[in-house]
Amino acid sequence: MHKESEIRDPLILGNKTYHDITRDIARPVEGKANKYWWILFGLSVFLFLWGIGCMAYTIGTGIGAWGLNKTVNWAWDITNFVWWIGIGHAGTLISAVLLLFRQKWRMAINRSAEAMTIFGVVQAGIFPLIHMGRPWLAYWVFPFPNEYGPLWQNFNSPLLWDVFAISTYLTVSTVFWYIGLIPDFAMIRDRMSKTISPMKKKLYTLLAFGWSGRAKHWQRFEEVSLVLAGLATPLVFSVHSIVSMDFATSVIPGWHTTIFPPYFVLGALFSGFAMVETLLIIMRKVVNMEAYITIKHIEYMNVIILFTGSLVGTAYITELFMAWYSGVAFEQYAFLNRATGPYWWAYAAMMSCNVIIPQLYWIKSIRTSFIATFILSIFVNIGMWFERFVIIVTSLHRDFLPSSWTMFSPTFIDIGIFLGTIGFFFTLFLMYARTFPVVAQAELKTILKSSGSEYKNKTHE
Amino acid sequence: MNKKVLYAIFDDEEILLESVKVLRSKEIEIEEVYSPFPVHGLDVALGFKETRMAITAFIYGCIGLSFGGLLIYYIMISGVGKSWPMNIGGKPNFTFYQNFPAFVPIMFECTVLFAGHLMSLTYFFRNKLYPGATTTSPDPRTTDDKFLMEIIVEGDDNKMRKLLKETGASEINEKDTNNE
Amino acid sequence: MKTTKKYWKGLAQLHDDPIVEKLAQNEFVENLPVDEFLGDKENLSSTSSSRRDFLKFLGFSTAAATLAACETPIVKSIPYLVKPDEIIPGVANYYASTIYDGRDYASVLVKTREGRPIKIENNGTCSNSRVQASVLSLYDSARLKHPLKSSEESNWRTVDYEIKEKLSNIKDGKIALLTSTILSPTIKQLIQEFAEKYNNVEHVMMDSTPYDGILDANLETFGSRLAPSYSFDKADVIVSFGADFLANWMANEYATDYVKGRDPKNGKMSKHFQLETNLSLSGANADKRIQIKPSEHGYLISSLLDGIKGNKFDSRLEKIVKALSNAKGKSIVLSNSNDKNVQLIVNAINNELSNYDKTILTNQPTYLKQGNSQAVDNLLSDMKDGKVSALITYNVNPSYSYNKSKQFNEALKNVELKISTSSYNDETASLMDYVCPDSHNLESWGDANPKQGNYSLMQPTISPLFDTRQFQETLLSWTDRSDYFSYLKSFWIEKGIDWNVTLHDGYFHLEDKKIKLKKFVDRSSPIKNTISTDLELELYETIALGDGYQANNPWLQELPDPLTRACWDNYLTISAHTAKEFGLENWNVSNGALNGSMVNIEADGVSLQNVPVLISPGQARSTVGMAIGYGRTKAGKAGDGIGFNAYPFTGKKTISIEKVEGEYEFASIQLHHTMMGRDIVKETTLSEYIKDPSSGNHRETYATYKGKLTADKVTLYEAHDLEIGHFWNLSIDLNSCIGCGECVIACQSENNIPVVGKEEMRKSRDMHWMRIDRYFSSDMTEELSAKEKISMIDMFSEMEEPSENPEVVFQPIMCMHCNNAPCETVCPVAATTHSNEGLNQMTYNRCVGTRYCANNCPYKVRRFNWFQYSDNDKFDFNMNDDYGKMVLNPDVVVRSRGVIEKCSMCIQKIQELKLNAKKSGQPIKDADAQTACASSCSTNAIVFGDSNNKDSEVWRLRNDERAYDLLDHLNVRPSVFYQTKIRNKA
Repeated sequence: MHKESEIRDPLILGNKTYHDITRDIARPVEGKANKYWWILFGLSVFLFLWGIGCMAYTIGTGIGAWGLNKTVNWAWDITNFVWWIGIGHAGTLISAVLLLFRQKWRMAINRSAEAMTIFGVVQAGIFPLIHMGRPWLAYWVFPFPNEYGPLWQNFNSPLLWDVFAISTYLTVSTVFWYIGLIPDFAMIRDRMSKTISPMKKKLYTLLAFGWSGRAKHWQRFEEVSLVLAGLATPLVFSVHSIVSMDFATSVIPGWHTTIFPPYFVLGALFSGFAMVETLLIIMRKVVNMEAYITIKHIEYMNVIILFTGSLVGTAYITELFMAWYSGVAFEQYAFLNRATGPYWWAYAAMMSCNVIIPQLYWIKSIRTSFIATFILSIFVNIGMWFERFVIIVTSLHRDFLPSSWTMFSPTFIDIGIFLGTIGFFFTLFLMYARTFPVVAQAELKTILKSSGSEYKNKTHE
Repeated sequence: MNKKVLYAIFDDEEILLESVKVLRSKEIEIEEVYSPFPVHGLDVALGFKETRMAITAFIYGCIGLSFGGLLIYYIMISGVGKSWPMNIGGKPNFTFYQNFPAFVPIMFECTVLFAGHLMSLTYFFRNKLYPGATTTSPDPRTTDDKFLMEIIVEGDDNKMRKLLKETGASEINEKDTNNE
Repeated sequence: MKTTKKYWKGLAQLHDDPIVEKLAQNEFVENLPVDEFLGDKENLSSTSSSRRDFLKFLGFSTAAATLAACETPIVKSIPYLVKPDEIIPGVANYYASTIYDGRDYASVLVKTREGRPIKIENNGTCSNSRVQASVLSLYDSARLKHPLKSSEESNWRTVDYEIKEKLSNIKDGKIALLTSTILSPTIKQLIQEFAEKYNNVEHVMMDSTPYDGILDANLETFGSRLAPSYSFDKADVIVSFGADFLANWMANEYATDYVKGRDPKNGKMSKHFQLETNLSLSGANADKRIQIKPSEHGYLISSLLDGIKGNKFDSRLEKIVKALSNAKGKSIVLSNSNDKNVQLIVNAINNELSNYDKTILTNQPTYLKQGNSQAVDNLLSDMKDGKVSALITYNVNPSYSYNKSKQFNEALKNVELKISTSSYNDETASLMDYVCPDSHNLESWGDANPKQGNYSLMQPTISPLFDTRQFQETLLSWTDRSDYFSYLKSFWIEKGIDWNVTLHDGYFHLEDKKIKLKKFVDRSSPIKNTISTDLELELYETIALGDGYQANNPWLQELPDPLTRACWDNYLTISAHTAKEFGLENWNVSNGALNGSMVNIEADGVSLQNVPVLISPGQARSTVGMAIGYGRTKAGKAGDGIGFNAYPFTGKKTISIEKVEGEYEFASIQLHHTMMGRDIVKETTLSEYIKDPSSGNHRETYATYKGKLTADKVTLYEAHDLEIGHFWNLSIDLNSCIGCGECVIACQSENNIPVVGKEEMRKSRDMHWMRIDRYFSSDMTEELSAKEKISMIDMFSEMEEPSENPEVVFQPIMCMHCNNAPCETVCPVAATTHSNEGLNQMTYNRCVGTRYCANNCPYKVRRFNWFQYSDNDKFDFNMNDDYGKMVLNPDVVVRSRGVIEKCSMCIQKIQELKLNAKKSGQPIKDADAQTACASSCSTNAIVFGDSNNKDSEVWRLRNDERAYDLLDHLNVRPSVFYQTKIRNKA
C-alpha cells in the first residue's frame, strides 16, 4: 500500500469518493457538450477540411504547388513532420517514463497525453506520405515480397529507419493506450442503461472487450502496463533519434551534426510538454476537469519544460561552438548564415521562444499560473516549429556551391496543409474528449486515499 | 445437494483485503474477486502465482530481433544481396558486420514491435478479452466503487454470511440459480 | 433557246407506265404515315415492342454507349508497308549536312531515328547552341504549313502562276531580291538566271548585324570587299576591341582555334586583351579586360596605332603595346566597330604588326557576312520613291531586324508585288502579298561556301513536314524549271567532285582561283579623344538567341545567358555604380527570385517603355548594354512578347534613361555570383603553372595513423571494385571551357529534357541536367579580411558583392557520378544505385519522390519533376505539341511527374557503344566513347572515356597535375573531375 508524506499537496481536490470520480469521469461522455466545445470543434473541422482540400490539390497537380525548388527540396513538409512527432513524445514520456518512476501525479494526465501522442503521430504520418512525388506508390517503402524484380528497400537509408520507427511507435503506443482504456470503458459500459441509450451501451460494450475486473486480470493488467512502459521508454528515445538521423547522417553542413539525436529527443520532450499543457488547460475548461488537472500538474510540467528548455539552449550553443571549433569553412558559414543570414529572424524566433522565454518559469508565480503557462506553452510550440524550420531550410538554402543558393517561401498550399493538420489534430482530440474517459479513473482511484484531499483532511484531524 | 453462490459486496479495498486474509486463513475457497481498480496485495492475499507476461514479452522481443536481423541480412547481404548485388553509395554489403551500424535502428524497432504487440495479444487472449465479449461481473457496480467477492458454499450458508458481515461486507447477495 | 427534246429516264417512262406518273406526282411524300404507325390504339398495342421493351432498348443502348466510351484509347502504330532498306528500327542513321539559316553556319551530322532527325552533331567545324537547337525549329508548329496569298491559305500552283504573271508584267520597275548573306553558289547562280529571265532584277544582301565597317575598310585597303579569316591558334597576343569573337562576332568558328592557342601544356599560352563596354563571353575569357565607353573605341584604337608606331599613346594601353610589339606577325587586333575609319586603323595596326597572311588571312576570306547596309538603304529609298515594283525577301526579316523598320514598313506600301519566302508568317511576311514558305535546312538540298576553298553540302533528312518548298525550288519554278536536286548535282559534278563521297562527308575543298588583292594601302586617319559623360548604349547578341531568328525555339529561350544567368528575357545591363546614380536596383524576393527596377529609354526618336534593368558586373560605368533578338511579335507562341526589340537602336550611341515605377520579374537561375572564398574553381597563373604544374591545385590532407593523407585515401571500409570492366569518367577542362552553353542544349536534345517556362525558371526549378555556373571575383578576400582585421560577418557580406570589373570563371556542372554517392545511401527504395562502371544510376519508375537524394547532393544536380511537364497545357512547349514531340529521343524515357531525374552520362549512348563493340567483336575505341556534351563541345573542354583503359585520353587527364575533384574533402569520389583554370597574367 502506497504511503506518502503528510505535507504533500493533494493531487485530487475536493472531497471526492470513488463514486464521485466515476461520475466526474463519465460526465463528459454521458452529458451534453458545452458551448466552448462546439466552438472549438467547429473551428477545427473547418481547418481540417481546408487542409484536406490543399492536400488533394497537391496530389492532383504535383509537389510544385509548394514553394520548394531545386535547392530546398524539403521545407514545411518535413518541418511539420518533425514538429508533430516531437509533440507526440511527451505523451509517451508521461505515461511510460513517469510510470516507471512511480510518479503518481501523472495519472490525472497520462490518458490525454497519450491521446495527444497518437493524434500527433497521425498528423506527423501525413507528411512523409504527401511529400512524396508519387504518394500512390508509398507502399513501396515497406518490405513485402513482390514481383518487381524483386525489388527491396535500402536499409542504409534513414528514411527507411523512419518508416519502421514511426509505424512501431504509432502502433505500440496505440496498444498501450487501449489496454489502459479497457477498464474505464468497462466502467462507462456498466453505467449505461440498456433502455435509455442502447446504442451507446452496445458501443461501449464493444470497446470494453468484456472487461470484468477479475483479480487475476488486474494482476496481468499491471504487469503488462509496466512492461509496455518499459518498452515504450527506449522506443520514444529511439524514434526521435532516428528522425534526427535523417539530418545527422547527411553531408549538408548544418545537418551533418553528431549531437542531433539527444538534442532532438530533448527538443521533442520540450515541445511535447508544452503541447500537453496547451491541451490540458483547454480541456479542463471544455470538459470541466478542474478537480483532476490541478495547478500542481501544471507546475510539475513547467519544471520539466524549464529543464529541457535549458538543455535545448545548451545544445544550440554546443552546435555553434562545434561549427567554429571544426575549422571547416562550410560548417562555419552554415551557422553564421543561420544567425546572420537572410533567415536570421527564424533563428531569432527559435532562440527567444525556446531558450529565453522558458526561463521565466524560474518565477514561482508564473510557474503556477494557468494563464501564463498557457501563453508560454504556445510560445514554446512556435519556437520548436521554428527550430525545425531553421535546421531544415537555412541549412539547405545555402549549401556547398554558391551557384545553387536559393531562398524558400511557402505558398498558401503549404500553409493550408499545416493548418489543416492542426485542425485535424484538434478535431480528433475534441472528439476524444467527449467520448473517451479522459482520465485513467481506475488508476486514479488507487491514489485517491493517498492523495485525495478528503483523506488528507481525515489524517489532519 | 444445493450449491449456493454468495456475492459479498465491500465498499473499501482495505476492508476487502482484510476479509480476504481472514477467509483464506479459515481455508475458505474464494471463487473470484471483482474490483474497480487493481487492489495492491490482493493477488498475494489470494495466493496467485506470479504472472508470466514479462517472460512472454522477452521471448517475443528475441523473435522480433532475429526477424529484423534476418530480414536485413536476406535483403542487403545474402539472398537478394547476392542474387542481385547492388552498390548503394559505395557502402560495403559484402558482410553483415561491415554494414551493421546501419542496421541497428531497424533491428531495434522490430524488437519493440514484436514484443509490444505479441505480448498485448497474449494478454487479450489469456484474459479472454475481445471485441464483442460481455462482462462476466455479477454486479455492474464493481467497475464503479464496489468490491465483490464470490464464494461458493455447499449446504447452509448462514455461517458464511455471518462471517462475511463480520469481516465488513456491506451487503451479501445470492446468485439465484432458478432463472438459469 | 427552248428545247423540245424529251429525255426519258428509263424504259418504264418510255412505255408510259402509270407508276412513273404516280411517283412523279408524289416525288416528295409530304404526309409521313405517322398515324398508320401510332395513330390508333389497336395499332399501337399490336406492335410487338411494348413500353417495357422500349425501356430495355433505351437501357441497353445507354449501357452500350457507356461501355464504348470506357474503351481505352488505341494508339495506332503503323508498320512500314515497304521498309526503306536504310532504316532499321531502333538504329540511328547519321547524315552529313549543313545548317545555314542566314546567320549561323555549321557543317553537321544529323542523327535520325526511324526517319526523324532528332539531334545535330558537329561535323568537324565549330557549331553553337543555335545550331544545336535548330533541330527543334524543324518541328516548330508555328512554321507555315502552306503558301499564303494575301495572308489566306493558298496552293503552289496558284501562287506560282500569279507571281510569274505579275513578275513578267513588270516593265520598268525594279524587281528587288532582298536576302541574307548567300553562301550557296547554286542560289547565286539561280538568282543570276532569275535576273536574266525578268527585267532589271536587283539582288541586295543584308545582315541583321551589319559588318560593313570591316568589308568597306578592306575594300579600301585591299581593293576587295571581303572579311579575312583569322587563325587564333597562331596568335600569341589577341587584342579585341569589343569583338565578341567567341560568341557571335562574324563567324562562329574561332573558339576551337582560340582554345588551341591557350593550351598551357607546352608552357605557352596566347595572351588575350579585351577592351569592351558590355561584359562579353570573350571578355569573360580574356586575361586582361579593360572597360571602355563606346565613344572611346575609335580613339583608343588609333592611340594603339600611335603606340605601335612608337609615338605617345593612352596609358591604359601600356601593357597591350608592349605585348604587341613583341609579337609581330604573331598577334591579332580586332574591333567590332562598324565604322569604316576605325576598321581602317585596325587594318593599319595589323599591317604595322605584319599579321596579314600570318594570323589574318585575306587570301582565304570568309563569306559569312556579305551584307551591304548602303545597298539596303538605297533599296529603301527606291521603295519610297516607288521605283521598286516587286520585292522578294529570303531569310531576312527587315520589318523586325532592320533599324529603319518603321520606314521600311511604310515604304512597303509603294511596292506592287511583295513576296516573302520566310518559313514563318513573321513580321515581314505578314505584310506581304504572297508568302512562299521555305523549307527547313533539314528538309532541303543545298550547298554552302562559307570560306574561300571550303564547301559543304546540305541534304534533306526528312521529307517536308508541311506544304513548304525550299527557296531554290521556288526560284526554279519562277524560271519555269523544277527539280533542284538534279540541278545541284549536275552543278557540282561539272565542278568535278565525286558526288557520293562528298555527300557522305558533307564538306569538301576546291582550289578556287586566287582572289587578286592590291597591295596594302594605309588610308587610316587618326581619331581624337572625345570625352563624353552621357550614358552610352552598346547592343549585343546573346549566345542563345543571336539575332532572334529562332526566337520561337523554347530551348534557346530557356538557355540561361552565360554571364547574367537570366533567360526568357532581354534587359538593360548596367554597372552597379551607374545604377546607384539613377537609383536603380535589383533585389531578391522572398522565394529568392530576382526582381529589378524598370526604365524608359530614349535615343533620338527611338524609345522603349518599361525596360527592366539588370545590374551586371563588368559593364563599363555610365554605359548600358542591350541584347537584340528579343521583342518578336510574330515569332510564335514561345517567342512572342519575350523581351524588347532593340534593333531600332542600332547605330545609336548616346541614350537617356529615366526610372519608372513598378518592378520587373526576371528569370535568373543563379542568385549568387561569387565563390565566397571557397575552393570551387581552382585557378593559377601561367608563370606559376610553368614552375609547378600542380600549382593552385592544393588538396587538403588529413592526419591518420598512416600519416597525412588526402581525403580519397582515407576510408573506413573496403571499397567496391571498379577496376574490372569499364570505369566511365568525364574530364572538364576549366581552361578550355569558354562557357558558351552549347553542351547544355546538346544535353537537352539528347535527353528529352523538358522546357519549364519563365515562371518555373524564376522559382529556381530549372530542369537542365547540366548547367554552367559562372562566378565573378570579389574585391573582398580572406587574405584582405585577415590583413585589415575585418570581422567574419562583414567579410562574408562583402564577399557577396562582385568586383566592378571582375575576373570570370565558368564551371560546367552535371551529376558527378560519385562513387561514394550521398544520394544513393539515403534513398529508402533503392531507386538510385551505382553501376559497376562507376555510374550513378536513376531508376525513374522505382522513384517515389521523397527528394531526400536531391537534398543530400552536395552539387545540387538532381532535378525533380515538380509537375507533369509533357502533355500539359500549363507547359505549352514542344512536349505539349504533336510536332514538337517528334524531336524526342526514343532511347530516353520522358520522365513522369514526381520523380527525380539527372545526368545519366548518356547511358543510352554508352549502351549503344557497348552493343556495337560486342557485335563487331572489337574493343571499344576511346574516340567512340562520347556523351552529348562531350561531342558537342567545340573547344574539346569536355572529355569522356573509360579510365580503366590505360591509353584513353580521360585516363591521361585523370592523372594530370591539373586534375582535381570538386569538393574533394567530402570524399564522395566523383567520376567527373576538373582541370584547373590557368590565366596568362603578366
